[in-house]
Amino acid sequence: MNTSERQALLSRCPRRKLALTVASTAVLMLSGCASAPVPTEKMAVAEASVKHATTSATSDNAPAELQLAIDKLAAARQAMTAKNYERAAQLAQQADVDAQVAELHAQSARSRKAAQESQEAARVLREEISRETPR
Amino acid sequence: MNSRFLLLATVTAGLAACTTTPTPNASLDKARTSFNQAQSSAQVAQLAPDELGRARESLGVAEKARTDGAETSTVDHLAYMASQRVTIANETAASKAAQAVTAGASAERDKLRLVTRTNEANAANQQLAVSKQRNVSTAAELAAVNAAAGRDQARVSDLESQLSELNAKKTDRGMVVTLGDVLFESGKSNLVGEGPASLAKIADFFRRNPQRSASIEGYTDSVGSAAMNQGLSERRASSVKTALVDLGVPTNRLTTRAHGENMPVATNSTPAGRQMNRRVEIVLAPQADDTPVR
Repeated sequence: MNTSERQALLSRCPRRKLALTVASTAVLMLSGCASAPVPTEKMAVAEASVKHATTSATSDNAPAELQLAIDKLAAARQAMTAKNYERAAQLAQQADVDAQVAELHAQSARSRKAAQESQEAARVLREEISRETPR
Repeated sequence: MNSRFLLLATVTAGLAACTTTPTPNASLDKARTSFNQAQSSAQVAQLAPDELGRARESLGVAEKARTDGAETSTVDHLAYMASQRVTIANETAASKAAQAVTAGASAERDKLRLVTRTNEANAANQQLAVSKQRNVSTAAELAAVNAAAGRDQARVSDLESQLSELNAKKTDRGMVVTLGDVLFESGKSNLVGEGPASLAKIADFFRRNPQRSASIEGYTDSVGSAAMNQGLSERRASSVKTALVDLGVPTNRLTTRAHGENMPVATNSTPAGRQMNRRVEIVLAPQADDTPVR
């Protein structure tokens, strides 16, 4: 129902005019909350993020986090297909942030491992030296 | 009236759909809690300030949505985004901290390696220095011993040769060099003949043995009075001393004595004997380290 139709109806009958006003107000309220543009850009960002995160390094060190991002992206695609754009936009944003989390989690795990190895190496060297020093 | 009420109720209901008073949202509370934790962590605040800022922004959006009465699914979504942004801040900080640890550990390792190498180098140098020192001191000791031996040897042979050249005789008073009669004419005190040549040798001896001192003692034959001979022997001794001083012998090292016609070394009854008695003896004072000479 568009505005001209509504006005046409309203002009014909005052009682119905009121009823229509109520109805259209409610419709406007609902559509104000539910209407959403097609999240093409958000989907593209999510696709790129997940693709970027899908590396052997990430799947080795953050498999669960990566899987979550992949699943979210799949869900976003489904929402797109179902034309549930608001949900699609949310899922796309979540997939993007999940992919980043996966990558960073993998990176921090690798850094931690490297730090441990490095500290261990330093410890070994320290021990060697303290063994050597009292000649 | 009835219809107006209906309109109002509808509008109110419609508004209420979007602007209900903030209802508690578990995921938003969780996001707020984890954000507060991250914010109070010095590591995250220092190492991931940008990421923390984005999380704060995201959390603000979510809280505003709840305050504005957005749908629960929207608030949940925004809260989830905020939570994940907090996680990103945490992971970023953890990564950087671990990288700092790695850098620190590898720096420590480098330092330790350097210390080890330095110690090794120092130890090697020290050993080298010690063994060098040992060689040096051994060589020095050897050289000193050799030199001392050489010096002693040289001095002994020097003194011996010098004294033998001067026909020195060892007596109770020390080494005695006798300047023969040829030095003086009878009754005279001035030096003659090869006197100056002999004195040059004696002066040379004093120059080479600067610590030596000597007594110059004059004697005469028995010709003439004893008093005259005493004076003559005195003048002869003085004459020799003057000649030696002229040749560079320090005067304080020389003393004179006059014996006159006393202590003859030969008979005064023959010309040959009297000639032997006319003499000046140079008595070299004995020295503490004269042992090799005697």
